[in-house]
Amino acid sequence: MPGAAVELQGITKAFPGLLANDAIDLDLRAGEIHALLGENGAGKSTLMNVLTGIYQPDAGRIVMNGAPVRFASPKDAIAAGIGMVHQHFKLIRAFTVAENIHLGWPDTPFRTSAALLESRTRALSERFGLLVRPDARVEDLSAGEQQRVEILRVLARGARVLILDEPTAVLTPGEAAALVRALRGFVVSGYAVILISHKLDEVLEVADRVTVLRAGRKVATLRAAECSQAQLAALMVGREIGGRRRGGAGPRRVGPIVLQLAGASADDERGVRALADVDLSVHAGEIVGVAGVAGNGQRELTEVLTGLRPVTEGQVRIGGRVMFGADPAAFLAAGVGHIPEDRLRSGLAPSMAVADNAVLREYRRPPVARGALFRPGAALALARRIAADAHVMVPNMRAPVRNLSGGNQQRLVARREMRVSAQALVAAYPTRGLDIGAIDTMLRYLAEMRDRGVGVLLVSEELDELLGIADRVAVLFGGRIMGVFPAGEAEPERIGLLMGGRAEAA
Amino acid sequence: MRLQRVAAIGPWTVVATRVLSVAAALLVGGSVFAFAGYDVPTLAASVVQSSLGSLFGLEDLGLLFSPLILTGLAAAVALRIGLWNIGGEGQFYAGAIAATLAGLNMHGPASLMLPLLALAGFAGGAAWVLVPALARAFLLIDEIITTLLLNFVAVLLVNYLCTGPLRDPAQAVTSASARIPYEISPLLDDLHWGLGVSVALVAIMAGLSAFTRWGFETRLAGANRHAAHYAGIPVRRRLMQVLLLSGGLAGVAGMLEVVGTVHRLQGGISNNYGYLGVMVAVLAGGVPWAVLPAALLMAVILNAGTVLQAYGVSNYEVLALTGLVLLFTAVGERLAYYRPARRPVRAA
Repeated sequence: MPGAAVELQGITKAFPGLLANDAIDLDLRAGEIHALLGENGAGKSTLMNVLTGIYQPDAGRIVMNGAPVRFASPKDAIAAGIGMVHQHFKLIRAFTVAENIHLGWPDTPFRTSAALLESRTRALSERFGLLVRPDARVEDLSAGEQQRVEILRVLARGARVLILDEPTAVLTPGEAAALVRALRGFVVSGYAVILISHKLDEVLEVADRVTVLRAGRKVATLRAAECSQAQLAALMVGREIGGRRRGGAGPRRVGPIVLQLAGASADDERGVRALADVDLSVHAGEIVGVAGVAGNGQRELTEVLTGLRPVTEGQVRIGGRVMFGADPAAFLAAGVGHIPEDRLRSGLAPSMAVADNAVLREYRRPPVARGALFRPGAALALARRIAADAHVMVPNMRAPVRNLSGGNQQRLVARREMRVSAQALVAAYPTRGLDIGAIDTMLRYLAEMRDRGVGVLLVSEELDELLGIADRVAVLFGGRIMGVFPAGEAEPERIGLLMGGRAEAA
Repeated sequence: MRLQRVAAIGPWTVVATRVLSVAAALLVGGSVFAFAGYDVPTLAASVVQSSLGSLFGLEDLGLLFSPLILTGLAAAVALRIGLWNIGGEGQFYAGAIAATLAGLNMHGPASLMLPLLALAGFAGGAAWVLVPALARAFLLIDEIITTLLLNFVAVLLVNYLCTGPLRDPAQAVTSASARIPYEISPLLDDLHWGLGVSVALVAIMAGLSAFTRWGFETRLAGANRHAAHYAGIPVRRRLMQVLLLSGGLAGVAGMLEVVGTVHRLQGGISNNYGYLGVMVAVLAGGVPWAVLPAALLMAVILNAGTVLQAYGVSNYEVLALTGLVLLFTAVGERLAYYRPARRPVRAA
C-alpha cells in the first residue's frame, strides 16, 4: 500500500461572511485517482486553491512525505510537485503548443529557437505518452488537444500530484475515454490524481476513492467500488433528490396559449437564416421542452421569444397580442421572463453590485422606481428578498455579482425572472454547469411556475431532464421544428433520431 | 514579501490607494527636482503659501479649479457608460465659440443673457461631440479617436475666428475677439460664480447617476451593454445622451471661462483643461462626486506651476508631474487588489 502523497489536515478558510472550508481532512495516496465531489459552493474550489497555493489557509496544514509544507504562492506548490489543470484552459491561443509548454518555465533554455522548443516538446510528449503537435497553434486545437497541452505543461514542471477540474466537461465521449486511459497510466506509475467532477457515473467509473464535501465540510471519504450513485447524490445534497415532477397521470388542465410563434423565421449575427418557418405554441400551465443539439437555432428561438431578436418573417404573439419589432422592454412588460443561455454575458453585469443585478428587471416600477427616480434603499430591500427566495447567501449586497459562485448566480437570475414571468418564462439551458442539487432546485422552480399557470419553454440538451419535466417536447434541428410530442409518448430513440436530422420514418 | 490577489476591495481602500498614489507621485517628482538642484522644501513651502496661504492664491486656485471640475465631470460622465471622451478640449472651445457668438450678437439683461450664454455653451459642446456620438452608437466607431481628432479642428477654428471674422479691430497686437459685454458676478475679486455653477453641476450629476432610473440605466449600459439590452434599456439612445451631455458639460466650462474669466475668445484659453479633465476623471474613478477632490488636486498642481516658474522651473516640468500622478494612480489601482500573503497558521 503506497503511503500518502499529500495530506490536508484540518484546512479551514473563511471569507467575509462565509466559512468556505471548515476543518477539512483529506489524504491523497500515490497511485490513486481521488474524486472530489460536491455541489456548487461546497468548498471544492477553495480547497484546491489552498492546495495549489493560491489561498493560504486560516488554520490547518498541508503535509507532504511526512513533513509540513507551506505554499505562499502557486510557485511553491508547483515546486513541491502539485499541478492543476483548470476547467477554463490558461493557454495563449496565438502561441504554438511548444511555446505554451515553455512559457514561464525556469527550465526553458536561455538561448532558444522554435525548432529547439518543438523538439523538447516532442520529447516530453513521448515521455508522458500525451500526443500533441508541438508546432500547432493552440487556437487551431480541439478542446481535447488543448487539455493534453495543459496536462503536459503541468507534468513537465515536475508535478506528481495532478488536479483536474471537471476535465471531461468540454470533451467528446471519445476524448473523455482517452483522457481516462491517460490518467490510469499516470497513477500506475505512481502519480496521484484529484478529479473534481459533478458527474456521478464518471466518478464511480474512474475514481478509486471519493471524498464528498457539503457546505464547506467533509461529509465522507468512500471507496468508489463500495458505493452507489444514489448514495453519493444523497451525501452531496443532504436530502433525497426528487424523481419526475410531471403532474398527475391524467391529462393536465392547460389554459389558453400565452406564447406563440407563427411561421416565424430569424437570422443569426452573420445574417444567415437560423430559424425557418417555426410554428410553436406554449399554453398557460404547461412546460414545453425544446430538444436538440446546441447550435440548431436554440439561441435565436429564445431571443425571438423575448424580444432580443427581430423575426424576419412570421409573427410572435404573447397572450394573443402580436409583438412588433425587437423590443425587450415590451416583452418584459407583457410578462415574459427569460433565463438566458449565457448569464454572464447577457443576464448579469458582472462588475455591478449584487443589489443592482437583482433589480435589473424591476427597476422601472415601484417600489424601486418612483416616477423617474431610482431608490437605492428600495432596490436593496427587493434584492434581499430575491436572494432569500433563491436561498443565496450574500455577505455583501454591494459586492460585485461576479464574486458569487456560478450556481448562486444562476439561482439569483432564475428567481429574478420568475418574478416578472406573469405570462411565460423562457429558460435556456437553466441547469447547464450546475450540480445535481442545484439542477433539482432549478427544475422545481420551473414546475412551480407551471403550477402557477405560467407557460414555460425549457431549452435543454439533457433529454432525460426534458422528458422528466416537460408536458410536450419539440425537437429543433437546423432551425426547424422536426416534431412536437406529448412527453409521455415520446420515445428517447425517436427523438434522438430527429435531433440528428432524420425526418420521421412512417 | 509575497503578494496575493483579493477579489474585491472596499471603498475606503480605493480612497486610501488614491491618496497613497498621489503622495508617491509627488515624492518621486520632488526627488527629481532635488536631483536637479532645486531646494524642494522651499519650493513646496512656497507653493503651499502662495496657493493656499493667501486670498490671491486661493483666487487663482479657484479660477483653475472651476474649469477642471467641469471638464473632469464631462469625462467622468462618459466613463460611467464606458466611453472615453478625450475631446473635452475641443468641446470646451466649441462651447466658448458658441457663447462668444451669442454674447456678441444678442442683447438683453444680464439675468437673462447669462443663462442663455450657458445654454449656448452647452449646445456648442454637445454639437462638437454629435458626430463622434452618432458614429459610436450606430457604426461602433471608437469614440477615443474621433473625439480626440476633433480637438485639433476646434483649436484651428478658434484661431481662424480670432484672427479673422471675430478679430477685435481695436486691438492691434493680440488676436482676440471683442470683449463680451456680459459678466458673471464675482465670488471674490476675480473669482466668479462659475465655481458655484460647477460645484452645483457635480451635485446634479451625482444625483442623476445614483438616484434616477436614467442613472441606473447608464451605469448598467456601461457595465455590460448586452445585459442592458436584455433588461430592456435602449442602449444606443443612452450612449448618445451621455456623450451629448458630456460634451455639453465641457462646453459650459468653455462658456464660463470665456464669459467669466477671459472675457474674450482667444487661442490658448483652454489651458489644456480638456485633457486634464480626462486625468481628473480617471483620478475620480468615474465617480461624479469624486471629481471635486481630483479637480482640486489638479488645480493645486497647475497653480504650483505658475508659482514655480518664478524659481526657474518650466511649465513642462509641472505638466510632467501631472503625468506622474496619472501613472501612479493607474498602477495603484491595480496594486490595490494585492495584499501581502498572510503567513499560514502553524498547526500545533
